[in-house]
Amino acid sequence: MKSITIREFFDLKKKDLALSLVTEPETLDKKLSSPHINRPGLALAGYLDVFSAECIQVFGEVEVRYLQSLKEDLMLERARSIFKLDIPCIIVTKGLTFPPALEYLANDLNIPILSSRFSTTQLIQQLTRYLQYVFALEKTIHATLMDIFGLGILLSGKSGIGKSECALDLIHRGHSLVGDDMITIRHLDEQLVGRSARDFGHFMEIRGVGFINVERMFGIERVRRQKNIDLQIELMPWQDNMDYERMGLSTNYADHLGVKVPVIFLPVSPGKNVSVIVEVAAMNMILKGVGYDAAEDFNRQLHDEIRKQTLQKPSTAPLDAPEKD
Amino acid sequence: MLQKKIKITNSLGLHARPSTLIVRAATKYRCDFYIEKNSMRVNGKSIMGVMMLAAECGSELNLIADGIDEEYLLEEIEELIKSGFGED
Repeated sequence: MKSITIREFFDLKKKDLALSLVTEPETLDKKLSSPHINRPGLALAGYLDVFSAECIQVFGEVEVRYLQSLKEDLMLERARSIFKLDIPCIIVTKGLTFPPALEYLANDLNIPILSSRFSTTQLIQQLTRYLQYVFALEKTIHATLMDIFGLGILLSGKSGIGKSECALDLIHRGHSLVGDDMITIRHLDEQLVGRSARDFGHFMEIRGVGFINVERMFGIERVRRQKNIDLQIELMPWQDNMDYERMGLSTNYADHLGVKVPVIFLPVSPGKNVSVIVEVAAMNMILKGVGYDAAEDFNRQLHDEIRKQTLQKPSTAPLDAPEKD
Repeated sequence: MLQKKIKITNSLGLHARPSTLIVRAATKYRCDFYIEKNSMRVNGKSIMGVMMLAAECGSELNLIADGIDEEYLLEEIEELIKSGFGED
């Protein structure tokens, strides 16, 4: 299970979430390994049968005002009952002041308390988005990711098959590069989001030339930082016994992190202009997205034609043909 | 060169799926392969061509194969058409 320290979280999101540290800096070494958030209201009131201790605990106005309403002994007892469950972090919202006695207790038990100037709703919204991103399922794959007519197209295939060269041609035609060679994909909101595995900039290796910087060479409009993956195109050497899709009436899918992505197996042979085919595949997908499927359209017309011919010579039509009913 | 006449027996005729099956079977062989229906002659290894025949149930096709493995190709295609492509 992935985990981050509260220190990493604090350093990174201090500004975005308007955070400040209430407890001693040493408390920041606590680790967080849950993407969820908990409001500990009921736990503070004494109900501890169900309590998500592994989550960040958000203290809004309800929690703080409730604690303040208690006598000091009881307040400390209730706070201790959840502090001792090894919670990773407490965030107090609206810049509310935490009772000083609880700060001492948190320092004592080594629990970091952060204070945010955001409202509870605002904080939870932004925090959820961040935590989902951090804890999303992810993997790094050997592929090239492009933005083609607004679609995220993942070019995959063995080393040397020509992914980078194809990408270069597509960049030349006005499309944009997200990343070449190593792409990290994340499962976010039932979508796959891909970006370059390293934020070094948009470099590519072109065999025979060496490294190039796409952003420097083609301009900022030819690069993207990240992109949802809509289609995978697997480039493969031509094989005589492979069943390539001929009509396009059925769709193959590849599974990445539990998300199904349509995949096209594209045979590559010398002299074939792969980038044009990639463009065409993207446009065909856009057409399907707006409700036009060329393969279905053709097949429907073919069915009509066959039916017409069958009706023209009823003597040869089989008895069980639907037209005879 | 070998030729063979055969009738389409499945009720929906040569729509997309049967055409794909014919082309897929034919491309495994090295010989040339043509299909004739009335005066129309198409390349039997081209999906577009085979569908353009719009061959209905009961229509007669002339299969023409030319090359070293022509008899095997005709045998497989004939079997495929006679089987009704697993339809009906």
